[in-house]
Amino acid sequence: MKKGLSRRQFLATSTAAVAASALGGRDVQGQESTAESRQKQANGPDSAQSSFSRYSRYHPSFGGPPESDHYLGKLVPGLRQSGLPPVPFEAPDLGKIPWRMVGGVKEFEIRCTPVKREFLPGQFMNVWGYNGSLPGPTIEAFQGDRVRFVVHNELPEPTTFHWHGLELPVQFDGVPGLTQDLIPPGETYVYEYDLHQTGTFFYHSHVTMQESFGMAGFFIIHPRIAYDPPVDRDFGLIFQNFFISPNTATPDSMAMNWNWHTINGRSGPYTTPLVCKHGERVRIRLMDFSPMQHHPIHLHGHTFWLTGTEAGRIPPNAWVPRNTTLTGVAMAQDFEFIAFNPGDWIFHCHMTHHMMNHMTQQVGPRIRQKVDVSRYLADLPNRPPVESSLAQPAFEVPGYPQKMQGMEMNAEAMRKLNERRETRGMRKQWHEGVKGLMTVLRVLPEDLYNRVMHSEEAIQPGEIFEAVARRK
Amino acid sequence: MKISHSPRACNRLPVLGIIALALLFIFTSCASHNLPSLGGQPGQGALFEPENGTIAASPEQTGEGKPLFGGVSSPEPVLTEGEALSLSKLEALARQHNPTLAQAKAQIQSEHAKALEAGLYPNPVIGYIGEQISVRGTVGEFQGGFIRQKIVTAGKLRLSREKYQARASAAELLALAQMYRVINAVRMQFYRTLGAERKLEVQQELLETAEDRQVTVQEMFNVGQANRADLHQTRVLRQAQLLNVQQAENDLAMERETLGAIIGLLQPLGEVTGKLEAPLRHLVWEEALERLLAESPELAAAHANLKADEIMVQREKVEPIPNLFIEGSAGRNFEASETVYGVRAFVEVPLFDWNQGTIRQAKADWRRQRNEVRRTELSLRQSLADWFRRFRTALQKVTEYQNVILPQSEQRYVTRLKSYRADRETWPGVLEAQQDFFHRGLIYIDQLVAWRQAQVAIDGFLLVGGLEPPAGVVPPGHIDSVPKPR
Ligand SMILES: [Cu+2]
Repeated sequence: MKKGLSRRQFLATSTAAVAASALGGRDVQGQESTAESRQKQANGPDSAQSSFSRYSRYHPSFGGPPESDHYLGKLVPGLRQSGLPPVPFEAPDLGKIPWRMVGGVKEFEIRCTPVKREFLPGQFMNVWGYNGSLPGPTIEAFQGDRVRFVVHNELPEPTTFHWHGLELPVQFDGVPGLTQDLIPPGETYVYEYDLHQTGTFFYHSHVTMQESFGMAGFFIIHPRIAYDPPVDRDFGLIFQNFFISPNTATPDSMAMNWNWHTINGRSGPYTTPLVCKHGERVRIRLMDFSPMQHHPIHLHGHTFWLTGTEAGRIPPNAWVPRNTTLTGVAMAQDFEFIAFNPGDWIFHCHMTHHMMNHMTQQVGPRIRQKVDVSRYLADLPNRPPVESSLAQPAFEVPGYPQKMQGMEMNAEAMRKLNERRETRGMRKQWHEGVKGLMTVLRVLPEDLYNRVMHSEEAIQPGEIFEAVARRK
Repeated sequence: MKISHSPRACNRLPVLGIIALALLFIFTSCASHNLPSLGGQPGQGALFEPENGTIAASPEQTGEGKPLFGGVSSPEPVLTEGEALSLSKLEALARQHNPTLAQAKAQIQSEHAKALEAGLYPNPVIGYIGEQISVRGTVGEFQGGFIRQKIVTAGKLRLSREKYQARASAAELLALAQMYRVINAVRMQFYRTLGAERKLEVQQELLETAEDRQVTVQEMFNVGQANRADLHQTRVLRQAQLLNVQQAENDLAMERETLGAIIGLLQPLGEVTGKLEAPLRHLVWEEALERLLAESPELAAAHANLKADEIMVQREKVEPIPNLFIEGSAGRNFEASETVYGVRAFVEVPLFDWNQGTIRQAKADWRRQRNEVRRTELSLRQSLADWFRRFRTALQKVTEYQNVILPQSEQRYVTRLKSYRADRETWPGVLEAQQDFFHRGLIYIDQLVAWRQAQVAIDGFLLVGGLEPPAGVVPPGHIDSVPKPR
């Protein structure tokens, strides 16, 4: 335990240590003792009586009793200073809606459109969204703004706009019949109001089937000055489900079961990893816009604080530490945590069916020896003889096989997965464990972060992961 | 009533001359009717061109040694073990071995024989006469011989011969019809056998699918996705499919037996080779009907029989015209001790029986035959309607199965296979599509066979039933039964 702790402590000084190690000046023991001495210096005189009270942004640590502001990193600030405007919001794979100032009003133009969205490499699905995107691009504004939305309905059927969680004049609430007439196809409707709230909100169609078809998007309202403790990263993820039969690309919005799962309009492993620097304070805003599925969201390797809901910021004395939190339909949750633990961490819904896509029964040639479907395709009128899988000894165990035999990714799909900067240096077969409602949080020491996100030098598969693992 | 003259003395030489003349006449009549020729009759021919699906009648001389229909006496061809049989080979075998063709040939010969017999001149009567024996102590007033000859008048023999020659023509046409029956039956049975071969293959594929489903459900059972009842059901389905395979095997074996029977071979047949598919040809009802009525051998035979009946009426009309009986005698008058001669002539007087009943009967037969022609036309039309309905329906089905149903069912199967490979489809879903694809194949084969059979029937003048006895020339109840055909 002590040795393990020391290794993690070492990561705090990883850059210097690697440089030193490369020079061949120190052995492992020497590195450990250096790290320990630094820790003692930082703790000061009362380190002996409260060895658990110290919280390090660079290695696992307790941070003191639950009442402590540093408990599990609760109020430990990020690397960014206080008193500044918030960091820009970042929703991977989604854009933002541009605005222009018109007479002191921020004016956004939104089109309701059919969308072809690439859920997985090469798998384009027919859904609906906004400005050609599913989910819709993010609306980002500040507390106190007056906003105007010029909404064009380019769908073949009527729609409305609802502003989820906003306290606005009733005539802009967007409920068909109750507060406004539906916007007919081809027509434009204008919403305009003041923003006095802050937090993670969203917009969506208030026509039920259109909601099932994906019509939603983030509406982030920032305070003018970022709340304390300030975060270094502000990520956003929208979770959605669809039922799409085999051999079609159009979801059945009437379905009661859901076999395609998307985060920001992509399924794992096509979801783009969230990449941050070791030691940063990170916020993830998570919104569930599934038709009828709640998602227990689980982050590996870190404990996070629940700091906001779809209603806005939670006062710190009501924050809840979690590893898993249940986000219900039409709910948003803000997570904050210190990214103290380097590595590639899965971040996912824990419902097993949501950890797979277009799941099918595993029986058939897939689990039989020496049987390939190509043999069937080669000579259709003469099917190959049946080979019994049951002769395999493993079949003596009821319940076998449970392993999902994994979709074969072709070279083109693999290229699409790995051409993204965010995935550089991950293990070669990383995609095998990332499916459905899954994405990856990459916590990288600064040098590795810079190599991945900024350098143009070639990075081999697994190179970054192994570098992180080596430093432990 | 005969007018009789007593033999009386006359000049010896003239009497002998009459006898000699009479004999000469008889013998020359005989000679002139020796073996009537069969050449040049309409409808003669052999059926060739088995591959292109149409029956063409090509003229063939019917001289000795090259008969119209292959003889049953030909040596049995030895089929090598497991020899694959093409349609042309099977047709050749049938021409050689089907007994109805020999029967039909015999019927032609029979009619020609009747024509021969009907035209033969009646034989003279030669006898001994002894009269007034013991008169005046002599051995008799007249001891000698006589010769009597019937002189046939009014062309009765010629008419009789023509009548039976017309019947022989009908027999030849009916033999041609029988050839069509045999060849059509061979072709239909060939396609049925071919279809049975292909259906057995498909049923075996379906058995593999059923076995696959059984394994699949056992796999599902192992992971809790199927239960015991499902396992029982897969065994039921697998066993039922095994029965389908067995039935297909039985069907194939019996189709082969049937084919052998139609051909006339007792030897077991092996696999037949050929194609069920062929370019699809549309038929127009009016054209098919016109061709049938113009060229049907059955209808032509009915017309030939009508001609025979017309001749028969003529023949019976001349029957009452009396024939002349002439009798010459020569002998010795022992009373007068000199050689004497006698001459007699008879004639039948049609006083009470002038053949009026038979004439009426013949006319009735003639009317009957006129309606037989009409009936044959209508029957052909009715039969063509039935075959045409089958043809049109089968053609439509074959076309749609080729153009849409089979390719689409195949694409469905392919889509699911690829989808399974991409982990988006379950294996039971693939098996369902596979089973549908094979089932469609079975239906398609049935439709191909139906289409082929209808096409053969329509092309072959609707003549089916290669082991039915060849039709007789004379309809039932026809007057004919006299020892001497007339
Ligand atoms: Cu979930």
